[in-house]
Amino acid sequence: MVSTVQNTDVKQKESDHAVVVAVASRAVFEPEAQGGDNVYAEGVAFPLLQALQKVNERLLEENSAESLLFDIVLITTDSQQQQQSSHLISSTKHYGLEVSRFCFSTEEDFIESLLQNNVQLFLSTDRNEVSQTSQKGVLSALLDEYTTSCPSEQLRVLFCGDAVIRPDTNPTPASRQAAQSFSAQLGKMRQRFGMSDSPLSIVLMTSCGGRDSCGGALRTLRSLGISVDEAYCLAGSPRGPILSVLRPHFVLSDCFSGLED
Amino acid sequence: MSEMKPSDVATVEDSSQEKDWAAAKAFFDNLKSNKPIPPKPQFAVSIAVSSRTVFNMVRLEVAAPPPHPPLPTPPVNNFPLESELALMNVNSRLRELYPDSEELFDVILMTNNPAQVGVRLINSINHYDLTIERFCMTGGQSPIGYLEAYMTNLYLSKDSDKVTEAIEAGIAAATMFMPEKEMELSDTQLRVAFDGDAVLFSDESEIIVKKHGLDTFFEHEKRYENQPLAQGPLKCFLEALGKLQRKFYSKNERLNCPIRTFLVTARSAASSGARVLKTLRSWGLEIDEALFLAGAPKGPLLQKIRPHIFFDDQMFHIEGAKDLGTIAAHVPYGIGQKYHKGKLIEQPAKNE
Repeated sequence: MVSTVQNTDVKQKESDHAVVVAVASRAVFEPEAQGGDNVYAEGVAFPLLQALQKVNERLLEENSAESLLFDIVLITTDSQQQQQSSHLISSTKHYGLEVSRFCFSTEEDFIESLLQNNVQLFLSTDRNEVSQTSQKGVLSALLDEYTTSCPSEQLRVLFCGDAVIRPDTNPTPASRQAAQSFSAQLGKMRQRFGMSDSPLSIVLMTSCGGRDSCGGALRTLRSLGISVDEAYCLAGSPRGPILSVLRPHFVLSDCFSGLED
Repeated sequence: MSEMKPSDVATVEDSSQEKDWAAAKAFFDNLKSNKPIPPKPQFAVSIAVSSRTVFNMVRLEVAAPPPHPPLPTPPVNNFPLESELALMNVNSRLRELYPDSEELFDVILMTNNPAQVGVRLINSINHYDLTIERFCMTGGQSPIGYLEAYMTNLYLSKDSDKVTEAIEAGIAAATMFMPEKEMELSDTQLRVAFDGDAVLFSDESEIIVKKHGLDTFFEHEKRYENQPLAQGPLKCFLEALGKLQRKFYSKNERLNCPIRTFLVTARSAASSGARVLKTLRSWGLEIDEALFLAGAPKGPLLQKIRPHIFFDDQMFHIEGAKDLGTIAAHVPYGIGQKYHKGKLIEQPAKNE
């Protein structure tokens, strides 16, 4: 059973133009209540939400009528958290997070809730959840030890051009389409800002190929309307040390196989 | 100071690193061009170069991308071509002698330019067939973190602020100064010349010269002849070169070694030279030729040596080298930065 609650503190976004990003609530807040206020502590995805919010703020500064904005939805599948749904909502309001809606569902039908809400990107710390949604054609990314949980002034999105990160998942045509359309919208958002002082940075990394792989990936992204800010061609060097410096908020990988062709 | 690269700590990280490596190796093995995969950073002697040290960059306006890739930018003074040939010659000789070793040179492009300029840079690298497969286009972010991530042994840039930052972070680095006229350089032997004080060694002795004069300096150096000098910012790079040289020596290739190192110092052999040689020996390092100038200008001697690069901490020597055709690399370290031609430079008020 899926139920959706709107956040009355936040202005709802225009559904046609907004980019709906669903984040697992357990990634945003720590389960244990903090203090006596029944307000949750910040979780690993908290800075990510702040960065998404910052992009919206800057988009509206450029154009107060802007409709290409991030529309943030919190998804809860955890039955315990669902019982504490009021805490979730009050914590969100307490921190002033720009969450439009809260979706509560079971683990079986949370994908349905994603599709119902026209979610274009799903983010979670749960590897299984991400894998399942990915296979159903929803663009998903895992929040792991490589993604930053430090507050950042800038939303940093990493595209992995020739990812071998999750070799067990094969991108379906649906997921590739989802990836392309999300990326194109991200590209459009990026165009609203100048070269420097952008609240959004689009980063490309190729791990195994040489310089021509990376060059090809740059050209492919450009053809999708995506101007890349930073590019890193590793040609076999270990990803870990570079990722720790890069500090992406999330990584879009296995939907782009063939990006470098 | 970045010492020899740390050995692998056995963690879960390693198995994913090995997977990355295996995937990259498979990619390169499948290339029709027969390009070898670049060496593993933890074993390689990595040289990071900025785009302006390699190409004659024109500040590009990042407007709408052109429909066709523009003409490649020309290299600066053949520096990349001949040094690149010499570096790659070392690599191919090493691969012959040690087919399984990753102890090779690796050149990484480290540029501030946004990735939009990236395609043009890649086209230029292809056009001149340079052996650069790894790059970081940081779009304005500081390169220091990436230099460290690559365990960079030497960073060359035209931006002295970045070079200073790198030195302060313990990375061997120098600011490039290109001569106007070209010198003919070897494409089979990499020749690297170093100044001594405040480059290979710390600036402790130079401080004495500047503050107390030459006579005190000579006395001091004689008295402390047997006490090794502290190390300077480029000691580790000399060490890395020495490690590669020894691989040739072990295979009886000393006479034919494709790397040759030079010490070009204003010290004089008689009065202050011994301490320098003893210091190098105490570090287990060799230098092929030690040239003591006793204060004579370095330019003419460098013209005879024809190094691919000459490192010095004092702009006076850098200019002298450059004026006579040597590619000079300024090491912004130590007391020499506060002086110009022996006179203390007035420090400008810091703008905060």
